[in-house]
Amino acid sequence: MSNYKAIMIGGSAGSFQVVTKIVASLPKDYPLPVMLCLHRLKHVRSGFVEALSIKSQMPIIEPDDKDPIKSGRIYLAPANYHMYVELGNKFALSTEDVVNHSRPAIDLSFFTAAYNYKNKLVGIILSGANKDGALGLKSVKDAGGLTIVQDPNECQVPTMTLASMNATNVDHVFSTQKIINFLLNLA
Amino acid sequence: MVTNEDVQRFINSIQAASTYDFTDYSERSFKRRVEKLLVDNGIDLNQLTYKLSKDKVFLEKVVRDITVNTTELFRDPEMWITLRYQILPKLKKNKSIFIWHAGCSSGQEIYSMLILLNEMGMLDQAKVFATDINSEMLEKSKAGVYKYRFNLGYLDNFDKVIRENPYNFEEKFDVPYEKYFDIDKVKDTITMKQFLREKAVFRKHDLVKDGNIFYSKFDLILCRNVIIYFNNNLQNRVIDLFGNSLYRDGFLILGAHESILGQASNSFDRTKGFYKKKQF
Repeated sequence: MSNYKAIMIGGSAGSFQVVTKIVASLPKDYPLPVMLCLHRLKHVRSGFVEALSIKSQMPIIEPDDKDPIKSGRIYLAPANYHMYVELGNKFALSTEDVVNHSRPAIDLSFFTAAYNYKNKLVGIILSGANKDGALGLKSVKDAGGLTIVQDPNECQVPTMTLASMNATNVDHVFSTQKIINFLLNLA
Repeated sequence: MVTNEDVQRFINSIQAASTYDFTDYSERSFKRRVEKLLVDNGIDLNQLTYKLSKDKVFLEKVVRDITVNTTELFRDPEMWITLRYQILPKLKKNKSIFIWHAGCSSGQEIYSMLILLNEMGMLDQAKVFATDINSEMLEKSKAGVYKYRFNLGYLDNFDKVIRENPYNFEEKFDVPYEKYFDIDKVKDTITMKQFLREKAVFRKHDLVKDGNIFYSKFDLILCRNVIIYFNNNLQNRVIDLFGNSLYRDGFLILGAHESILGQASNSFDRTKGFYKKKQF
């Protein structure tokens, strides 16, 4: 059993295939909550959950405000909301302005998760076309959490991963397969 | 980094100098807003609390800054489709339909409702009331002018809710945008038509301390993406207020990812997308 209590993954719409691969590899009884903050097309609300659910053995949930964060579930930030983690392992949602042209903004999810989970959080940044997530990953590192970025050579668009590597001294640069192996080893 | 104690000091200084009480606001969003306030004003917390205690105009501005929420025309089209095909038809036979937009922010939800009511031939019987804690947002609501380019998504939402019929793809409604708003691409504005702008009644209202300030109950209350900023305690109080302000069988619509938790949920039947007040 690992020391970590939660995993948070950020990426943009282009990382959908990687996310699907990761999600598909996790067993039904995976012992940690996995939170996904992905840039999505603003006005397409449904479809994403359904598409991920087909591949996933863990339940995929778009959380409501104040839902408790539970192990063995995959949470997807709802379209058109920022997704925060509150002390006491609960979600909070917000319709504040877009940040980094994004809502959900990966930075905000990571800031709040880092504040809540501190050194018990694993933060992962995948392929993406803007720098959202870089400062968020730095906050994970600064709080003592573990930071991973997808290998930029493997990314369709490496802006997000490179910005993250510039922002902080990330712990691991992993291929998708290595990310999966790492996550499975936490179980 | 703003700490919980900082937030508490900020809340106390506002409370001491005004009638606003943010004690029961949800911690996370509030903390972020205080951080933003400090950055935007280029001051630290001591300077902020001092200024709040001395300067009423500044305090009002701060309250306006921290209570802004964004919205859009027909935000969450699925909800508006539910209103159009499931909820509003049930109210059509009423002589009057009382509607309260609680926490109307910049007003797009009101105009969405008025447009939908007009399309359904129900505008004349509707009495529409709109409230917000933020006087600046109320003025924006009344003005009914929005940025065009930034809000191109409004038109997609309009199409989904007003022009298409998801229950019968053959049936399309040819509703020109100009029927409801003028688009000025040079000025970059969308301006709501006057007959919509003069329809709703606007009042400043604080959900924390003000009850039902209108002389009526309501058939439909919309309060979307407001209670996400409240803690459970305040959420329950506000839901009670809505319960007491609804007619029997009245409808309450919350944001797409908000739900009624705890005891307050006993007063409502939940159907996907909306709550209906139970009969007692």
